[in-house]
Amino acid sequence: MSDEIYLDHAAATPLSDKVYAAMQPYFRDAFYNPSSPYAPAVQVRKEYETARVRLAARIGARPAEIIITAGATESINLALGDTGGHIVVSAIEHESVLAAAKKSECTLVPVSAEGRVSPGEVKKAIQPDTTLVSIALANGEIGTIQPLSDVAAVIREERARRLEDGNATPIYFHSDASQGAGLLDVHVARLGVDMLTLNAGKAYGPKQVGLLFVERSVRLNAQIVGGGQERGLRSGTENVAGTIGFATALELAERARKEESARLAGLRDYLENELVAAFPEAVVSGDHNHRLASHLHISFPGLDGERLVFLLENRGVLAATGSACAANKGTRSHVLETIGLAPEIADGSLRLSLGRLSSEENTKRAAKIIAEEVKNEYRRIG
Amino acid sequence: MKVFVGMSGGVDSSLTAALLKEQGHDVTGVYMKNWTEDLPGMRCPWADDLADAKRVAVQLGIDLKVYDFENEYKQKVVDYMVEEYKAGRTPNPDIMCNQEVKFKLFLEAALEDGAEMIATGHYARVEHGSGVSHESQTQVSSSREAESRNSLHSMELAALRQPPNGQEFRDSASGSVDGASAFSRATLLQAKDKNKDQTYFLYRVTGEALQKTFFPLGEFTKPEVREMAKERGLYTAGKKDSQGICFVGQIGVKDFLSQYVETVPGDVIDKQTGQKVGRHEGAIFYTVGKDMEKNEVYVTRDLNDDTLWKKQISLTSLHWINPPAAGQADNDVQVRVRHRAPLTPGKLTFCSRSDLEQGGGGGVGAVVELSESQRAITAGQSVVIYDGDVCLGGGIVA
Repeated sequence: MSDEIYLDHAAATPLSDKVYAAMQPYFRDAFYNPSSPYAPAVQVRKEYETARVRLAARIGARPAEIIITAGATESINLALGDTGGHIVVSAIEHESVLAAAKKSECTLVPVSAEGRVSPGEVKKAIQPDTTLVSIALANGEIGTIQPLSDVAAVIREERARRLEDGNATPIYFHSDASQGAGLLDVHVARLGVDMLTLNAGKAYGPKQVGLLFVERSVRLNAQIVGGGQERGLRSGTENVAGTIGFATALELAERARKEESARLAGLRDYLENELVAAFPEAVVSGDHNHRLASHLHISFPGLDGERLVFLLENRGVLAATGSACAANKGTRSHVLETIGLAPEIADGSLRLSLGRLSSEENTKRAAKIIAEEVKNEYRRIG
Repeated sequence: MKVFVGMSGGVDSSLTAALLKEQGHDVTGVYMKNWTEDLPGMRCPWADDLADAKRVAVQLGIDLKVYDFENEYKQKVVDYMVEEYKAGRTPNPDIMCNQEVKFKLFLEAALEDGAEMIATGHYARVEHGSGVSHESQTQVSSSREAESRNSLHSMELAALRQPPNGQEFRDSASGSVDGASAFSRATLLQAKDKNKDQTYFLYRVTGEALQKTFFPLGEFTKPEVREMAKERGLYTAGKKDSQGICFVGQIGVKDFLSQYVETVPGDVIDKQTGQKVGRHEGAIFYTVGKDMEKNEVYVTRDLNDDTLWKKQISLTSLHWINPPAAGQADNDVQVRVRHRAPLTPGKLTFCSRSDLEQGGGGGVGAVVELSESQRAITAGQSVVIYDGDVCLGGGIVA
C-alpha cells in the first residue's frame, strides 16, 4: 500500500534492494554446504568467511571474534547462557536478556526516570562472583542510550580490584546493541564491551540472522551443539545468504549512519513537537539528551494504546504500543513500570520509530492522523 | 438501552455487538479473561483474541472493558472438570462456564458497572417475561445482587410452585395469556439455525439471568452471520470458529488431564470373551464401558451391547429455566443427550416432589424414558429437556 506510513522500524525493517540482491545467488545457484570439500562449496565457504570479515570490520573486531547466530535472542542466550556466576543487568533490558539472566543468580540495576543506567549503581551491584554485566546500548521501547563506556570503566576497575585481591573470577561486559545499528557507533573498542549482540533484521537485513562479538579472551559455553561450526559455539549449517545479506546491510547502514540519524532526528522532533503542542498532557519518555534519533515514545494519559494502534492502522499508520498486554495486571511493559510511569499513562502509550521508510511528507501526514485519532479517542471517552 | 456484550474476539460476538449498536443500544464490549494454562516461556496466549475483540470495538466505536475472571474460572470450571474426570465421569465444562461465569459473574459485574442488559453471541433465542414491569425487573436484579444464591433459589422455587401447569406458565411468560402470577421469567428457545443451536450449553442458566440477556444471533443461521459480518467489514468476519474447550487449547483433553490426574495404565478387555486384548493409558480417558476400580476398559464387537445403548436415564443435579408440568406424573418431552444430537421423544418422571424442589441434589432427581435407545449415554454429561422449541432445563447423567 503506497499510502501506508510505517512507524515501527524498531520492530522490523524492510530488506534494502542491495541486500536482497546480495543474498539471491545463495538460495539456488550457490546453495552448497560451506563445509563440503568440492570446489563450488569451497567457493561458498570463502564468500561466507569474507562476510564474517566484513562484519568484523564494521564493528572493529577480529573475524574470529564474530559468531554468526540466528538473531539477537540467540546471541543473547549464548552470551548469558552459562557464565557460571552472578549476572548484573539493567531492569529495562529486553525480555531475552532478562529471561536469560534469570537462569543464573542475577541483580537488576534500577534506572533513572529517563531510563538511564547509572555506572555507580552497576558498581554497587557487582559482587566478587559476578561474571557478567549486560546493558543494552539503547532501549528498544523508550530509546534511551546507555553510557556504556562509563560502565566499561567500572568493570575495568573491578578487574583491577580482583587482581589485587587475588580473585581469579573473570568479569565480562556484554551489550545488546540490536537497536543501535545504523543509528549509533557500534565499534566494540570504543564501547568498551567484551561481547556485543547485533541483529540483521533491525538493520535492513534479513530476519533470523545476528551476530555475537566475543572478544578472544572470553570463555563461553555453547548453547547449541552439533557439527562444531562457528568455533564450536554455534553448531548448524551456516546461513550463507543471511550472513552475506547481514554484512551488506551493516555496511550500508554504517555508511549512511551520520546523515540518516540527523535526518531521522529532525523528523522525530517534528512529530514530537506537533503531538506535544496538540496534547500538552502527553508524556514523552526517554532521555532527551541520550535518545535514539529514530525513537518517539509518547503516552496519552487515560487512553488505551492498543486501541490507538488499531485506529491508526485503519488510517494506514502502522505503529506500536509499548505495552502490548495492557489492561491487565502484571502484563504492562516492565520498562515503563521501571521508569515509574503511572499505569493510566503507560496504558496510553505509542512507540513511534522512524527509519528509511520515513519521509518529510509522510511524517507530516502521520502527525496529523495521530493527532486526529487521539483527539477522537479523548472525545469518545469524554 | 445500556447493553454489555461479551466479546471473545470471534465472529459471532463481533456481529452481536454490531447488531445491537445498529439497533440503537448503548453498547459496551467486555472481554472476559478466563483461565489459561501457563506454558513455560510463553506469555499472554489470550492476547490475540483480546486484540481481535479490541479491533472490532474500535471499528464499532465502542468501549471494550476487560473483566478478569481467571481465578473464578479456574475454581468453578477447570477444577470442576478435573474433579469430575477423577470421579470417572465425563463433564461438560462449557455448560459450567455458562452457568458460573458468563451468566453469573459477567452478568453481575456488568449490572454493577451500569448495564441494563447483557448479550452474547450464542445461537439461542430468549423471550423475555412480560408479566413484570420494568421497575420490578430492576427489583429482581438488585435483589439478585444483594441476596445470596440460596434465597435466589427459593425465589425460583416459589415461581415453580405458582403455575399449576407448565404450558400455561410459558404462555403467560410469552404474554399470550395474561400473567396471573406475580412473577414472570424468560423463556429459552432453540435458535433458528438448528444445526448451530447452543441451548444445550445454556440449560443451567437461570431464568433471571436470561431475563437480562439478549441473544441477537438466535434469529440467524451461521452462514447468514458470516455474510452479515462480511457486509459490515468486521475484522473478524473470516476468522475460524474456535473448537473444543478453550482452556485446553491446542494440547487436547488427554494431555491436559494428564497434568492434573495421575493415571495408571490398565487392561483393555474384550467384553464378549473376557480376554485381555490390549492396554490403555488410564480408564478416566474413556466414557462408557469402563470399571474405574479395576482400571479396566471394555471393548466389544457387538454394536447392540447394552452398555452402549440406554433407554432409561437417571438424572441428578436438575436445573430448570422453565419447569416442566410439575403436577403430572409423566411429562411428554423431547430430549437431547448431547450437543447437536436430534431431539428424541421421551417421558420425564420426577422421583419425588422434594427432589424436584431441591434440584436433585446428590441423588437421582428424575428419570427420562426415551422412546428409542441412544448410544453412549455417559455419566457426567448433560441431558437437556425441551418442549418443542422451548428449552426447559435438564440434568446431569447419574
